[in-house]
Amino acid sequence: MRRLRSFLPLWFMLPASVIVTLFFVIPVFMTFAFSFTTMSSDTGVLGNRYIVSEATLLKLKELNIDPVLVASLGEIRFVFDDTNLKNISQLNLKPSLLKEINTKLKNKVFATEKKLYAALKTLKNRPRSFKDRKAISKATVSSMMNKEFLTADEFSQGLVSVGINLDAPAFNQLLELTNTSWHWTTDNYAELMASDFTLKILGNTLFYVFCTLFFNVGFALLLALATFYMPSGQSKIFRALWLIPRISPSVIYVLLWKWFTFDSGFMSHFLSSFGFTPQDWLKEFPWVFVILANGFVGASMGMLIFSSAIVAIPGDVLRAAEVDGAYPLQQIRRIILPLLAWPILFVTSYQTLSLLTSFEYILLLTDGGPGFFTTETWALNAYHTALSNYFGNLRYGFGATLAVVLVVVGIILSLLYLRLFDFKKLVTEPQIET
Amino acid sequence: MKIKQLTMAAIGAIFLAVPLAQAKDLDIVVWANADKNERYRFEAVKLAANVLNEELKIEGRDINVTVSAQSYVGSQAWAQLKQGFSLAVEAGKGPHIIVGGHEDIPVWGSAGLILPIEDYVDLEAWPFSDVFDSLWPIMSWNGQVWGVPQDAESRPFFGWNPHLKAIGYSDADIQALPAKIKSGAYTLQNVLEDAKKIQDKGLVEKGYGFYPRATKGGDYWQFYAAQKGGDMYDAESGKLILDQAALLGYYQFFNDAVFKYGVTKKNHLGMNWDQWYNEVANGKAGLWHGGTWHYARYTRKEGLTDFFDKVMFSLIPAAGSGGKATTLTHPLTYLISKQAEGDELEMAARLLTIVSEPRLNTLHAIASAHLGITNAQTKVSQYSDDRWTAEATALLQSAFALPNSVDFGQYDALVWKGLTAAWSGDLTPEKAVETVVAEIKATMADKVIVR
Amino acid sequence: MEDRKPNWLLTLFLLIISAPILIMYFWLFIDSISEINTDGLWPEHFTLRNWRFLYEDIDGHGNVWKATLNTAIFATSVVSIVVILSSTAGYALSRLRFPYRSQFLGFVLLLHSFPSVTLIISIFLMLRLIGLYDTLVGVILVKAALELPFGIWIMKGFYDTVPWEIEMAGLQDGASRFQVWYKLVLPQIMPGIAALAIFSFMAGWSEFVLPLILVPGSETKLLSVYLAGLMIDDYLSDFGLFKAVGLFYIMPVMIFYLFTQDKLMNIYGGGTKG
Repeated sequence: MRRLRSFLPLWFMLPASVIVTLFFVIPVFMTFAFSFTTMSSDTGVLGNRYIVSEATLLKLKELNIDPVLVASLGEIRFVFDDTNLKNISQLNLKPSLLKEINTKLKNKVFATEKKLYAALKTLKNRPRSFKDRKAISKATVSSMMNKEFLTADEFSQGLVSVGINLDAPAFNQLLELTNTSWHWTTDNYAELMASDFTLKILGNTLFYVFCTLFFNVGFALLLALATFYMPSGQSKIFRALWLIPRISPSVIYVLLWKWFTFDSGFMSHFLSSFGFTPQDWLKEFPWVFVILANGFVGASMGMLIFSSAIVAIPGDVLRAAEVDGAYPLQQIRRIILPLLAWPILFVTSYQTLSLLTSFEYILLLTDGGPGFFTTETWALNAYHTALSNYFGNLRYGFGATLAVVLVVVGIILSLLYLRLFDFKKLVTEPQIET
Repeated sequence: MKIKQLTMAAIGAIFLAVPLAQAKDLDIVVWANADKNERYRFEAVKLAANVLNEELKIEGRDINVTVSAQSYVGSQAWAQLKQGFSLAVEAGKGPHIIVGGHEDIPVWGSAGLILPIEDYVDLEAWPFSDVFDSLWPIMSWNGQVWGVPQDAESRPFFGWNPHLKAIGYSDADIQALPAKIKSGAYTLQNVLEDAKKIQDKGLVEKGYGFYPRATKGGDYWQFYAAQKGGDMYDAESGKLILDQAALLGYYQFFNDAVFKYGVTKKNHLGMNWDQWYNEVANGKAGLWHGGTWHYARYTRKEGLTDFFDKVMFSLIPAAGSGGKATTLTHPLTYLISKQAEGDELEMAARLLTIVSEPRLNTLHAIASAHLGITNAQTKVSQYSDDRWTAEATALLQSAFALPNSVDFGQYDALVWKGLTAAWSGDLTPEKAVETVVAEIKATMADKVIVR
Repeated sequence: MEDRKPNWLLTLFLLIISAPILIMYFWLFIDSISEINTDGLWPEHFTLRNWRFLYEDIDGHGNVWKATLNTAIFATSVVSIVVILSSTAGYALSRLRFPYRSQFLGFVLLLHSFPSVTLIISIFLMLRLIGLYDTLVGVILVKAALELPFGIWIMKGFYDTVPWEIEMAGLQDGASRFQVWYKLVLPQIMPGIAALAIFSFMAGWSEFVLPLILVPGSETKLLSVYLAGLMIDDYLSDFGLFKAVGLFYIMPVMIFYLFTQDKLMNIYGGGTKG
């Protein structure tokens, strides 16, 4: 019993800690690390790959690397020497063909695969299938071109096997230039600073957060106060109504806004009776609807918190004011609002963070458009950069850099809030010793 | 008693199961973006499996190949397909075969996600020996052939004949128009002017005179390529090119269409495809551009049965002097992922060989109004009897393709941003060029030649 | 407090600002069972054709029942993990003494408001390492991990409201700390558990971005991805169909919500009072 008790905190914390560590905390650190890499869909995520290809040769030429080396790297030969003949004998070929190769092709060298195949065709027992021809070609080829090496050692052996011997600095330089995998860099941060788009997106983000917050908190207050002055049946209905957007899956909720605004949707029909031409209102006023859609979702949280705060105000205080002849408006201004200062601050700070980092509604609603980064916010831009490119070039590293900025801002704001809301008070010491 | 019976039954079951278990089942997974008309992108592979299984029987190999497909529907699902493939193959959960765009070859090839097809199929042998020569460079990157063409297409310029007649074109004029466009006598400037005339006559609503593609797409590069100096790739250095003058002409054209002539909607981009197809196939737009495969949609779902009477099609007109009339071809390609190993790899390669047979490929060509990939196909009666495939194939002679470059996606995204800015009027065309060039210089300086 | 008298002006005002919600959800229902009339708002006739997705697969989009089953498995698993692990960890943070307790608490609070979706590439790598990419189990664990800090925080708030005397009395009767937690404390915070369960069910049922990226396979498609896929199909701009699927998708949450809304409101009362 004693043992169980002393390990209780461990057993209680462990499962949650493991999952959160694996899928939340470690990814945070990995994101930091990735932000210093060139990782993208064309480097792949894992492991080194060293390949000499046409593109590598072009790169080497541009860097004025020794032309003799470049030429020998690009050389392709098909050699029937003793080692290669031994390799061929291990292929699953007909004995008659093997014998013929051993007698007729021994010590021959071909400059291209075409010539090799032509030579094979002259054999009586020539290989009938493409697979066999290819296998012979693979067994005899002596070249660095288009061969995949996964380690530096293999690469070095590959070089030796085609007769290229390099000193350490030259080898390391070549190793780096032929590596198609990602490498460490600080360029992402430099790019972020250099890009004109950064400022535009930052501006969008601030505008979005500020406006939505204003709408959220404003409407939340309005709703909380209005429902307070209503019969409880009515207020219950309204509160339930305003929670519906929050509980709706984002895909449906956005679908409804799209229907509401598109050129034969509700708004167009409704407004056409007032003489407005039907149009796609979402595209005409993208920000208005981005903010409204987010606002209708966000207002409910504040509404509930404010409502419970208002209900908690002692009835006597309010009644006393009523007896003094204060109208509801005065009551609100003099008594309720001052008491709501704290909840308002809480909702504001909480929602600043969630608005900064959420992008699902904008993604589904406008996808950052229409036009030039019109409604592209920081988090959405991080998503686009890392995970959604029309032609499939996904820049994981740069996307991570964008995410890191959000993470840092998030941490700073959180720490600030912890101070503001007096974190110490939340950590009351346990009253039972174990 | 009961136990004994059960044991006997179990032993019996094992003996019965042995001969059944002998034929090794091999499931080849294919991913493709395909709508209703394009389902032969994977259905044809399933058909090919029937032939392959017969071949395997004859060879006495106990392998039974099945094909399962996963389809992504809609032009906007491409990004999802590509992103999904990139991550899935890295995680060992990708398909064996994917139908990609040819521009995916450098990205996936560089990441080692796909295998160069030239190592696994005999390109010298039928049916690959008969594939249009112009397709092989598009399937190649870095000195190797990576994929086999799945289809071919081009992206023509269209006009609604009744509207053209209403602004003064005679039947003969309309018939001569494609040739006039090809020669460069009818330019993008004329497009805007005619679109304006059509609109001013009240034949179409405002913003419908020139009605471009509904969403982002490679098609828009045509208006860059039609400019003087509108090159995208320098083969010598393997780098991309951005020609500032051509870029300005490209942006200016769409900016003019919206603001100077008012023939294109400011909010056009990102509109609903369903609505778009319906409008252009019903004469609600004057001039537009689309793809050869649109024919299937116009004539079937939209019911435009007298297409050839109602619609004129041609290359995209040149942009004034020095420009050239052109069209984009964007062949899709069957690629084998590194997921395929051993028997799977061999079977995937053999499936792709069979599926490229003229008759099988023709199923896709006719069903989706794409163009074929082999010379022999033009002699398959279904193909040659089809007026559309027969006539549209001619456009391929003047077609260009997007460059196969690892950096293309990033470069394309930046140039596209500039277009959306000039189109919406957020930036003037000059300012848009300036912004894009600055951004390219700042972030892709070593990958793009700006001139 | 006695009930207030209705103020019809106020009610009218609230009705006006709530109009978009009323209109959108009213027409969600109407349009799902009618032929949409593009020239006017009011549908012309009743039809059940929009609901055809229930008995026939829409070309290329897979089976809706499979997606529904996946979504149900996904949401209920997330609920189970979040509720069980939050109620143990929340208890430890609220009541037990152990090293670095306050640091843990600060950390939970920090994670609770974190840009989690931007971590997705790293999350992908973790799943790949463990071999759970493109499996429901994997995305369930991820969603649960992202919801846990919030859950732990909420549960800690509820535990804080339970009087110490209950536990002390239990211990004096000779029960172990575990028994006290299980038999005496847990029943006290049932409203909190209910609220958290409802909340995480809704979060799980609605999740879109995580499955979109972490389970691309058609075998593991969730309803959100199914509906989003329909909406970008070039062959469909059929708001009737979308809305029918939407209604089908939202119905469980709505029904759930109708019966549990009082409990759900608790989460705001109990958890975020700090």
